[in-house]
Amino acid sequence: MTFIRQFAAETAEAETGLFGALGIDVRLLILQIIAFLILVFLLGKFVYPWLMKQVDERQANIEAAAEAATSAQKSAAESQEQTAHLLAKARKEAAEIVSTAKLESTEIMIASEKKAKKSAERIVSDAHSQIDKDIANAKKELHNQTIELIALATEKVTAGALDGKIDNDRITKALKESQ
Amino acid sequence: MARRVSRRVLAEYVAEVIVGGGDMPLTTQQLAAHLVVTRRTKELDMIMRDVSFILADKGIVSGTVISAYELAQETKKAIQSYVADVSKAKSISLSYQLDQAVIGGYKVSLPGSQIDRTISHQLTQLKTRFKKV
Repeated sequence: MTFIRQFAAETAEAETGLFGALGIDVRLLILQIIAFLILVFLLGKFVYPWLMKQVDERQANIEAAAEAATSAQKSAAESQEQTAHLLAKARKEAAEIVSTAKLESTEIMIASEKKAKKSAERIVSDAHSQIDKDIANAKKELHNQTIELIALATEKVTAGALDGKIDNDRITKALKESQ
Repeated sequence: MARRVSRRVLAEYVAEVIVGGGDMPLTTQQLAAHLVVTRRTKELDMIMRDVSFILADKGIVSGTVISAYELAQETKKAIQSYVADVSKAKSISLSYQLDQAVIGGYKVSLPGSQIDRTISHQLTQLKTRFKKV
């Protein structure tokens, strides 16, 4: 630094022309130019590449993030669309199921009604049949009891009307007839 | 200990004695003694039934007549004649019993057959014929 100051002081003393008239210190200007170039060189050599690299990375990250966001948005949109499609499909299927269930329930109700009607008819028919059977049995029982009563009455009447002589005569007559 | 004799042999022996006119009281005693000794008194009815069958085969028929009232001699003769005609037997021996349950008519029980001309039997037949099953 000391060397630069000395050089600047010497240069200032030597040149006092146009620049001096303008109030510009040529040596100082040169030094500043050199310092600037050195600074530019250093910046270009060490700082700008790192900075540009950082900027590029940042830009790449931002682009990637933007792309991911776009992709996510697109995916969300697709997902939404798919969800809507699935919902529509599910609604349609649900509607079909409900419709089928209604139809089946109606068919089941009709079948149940038919079955119940058939069962009722069969019960009535069985009841009629049983009643007819019971009536026939009762008639038969009445008939048989009447026969029993007639036989009993005949037995009593015959026993009352019969005596030894009549019986003997009847037996003799029957034997003669059979011979 | 007496030897066990079959029922058939006993019946044939008794039947032979009856047909041959042997000593019936003695035969009866012998049969009774044999049955008592061999503890077969319960077989007596069956032996007598066998005897009846054997006698019937030999033309000697014994039977029972059941009636509700006492039968007159003429009626008895008519029944005997009828039984002789039906069974084709040489000799017929009938015993008579009274049973009010038959109401009227007669029933002759012979070995292996029966002639039922009672009113109760006829009523039963009528009932059976007209009853509905």
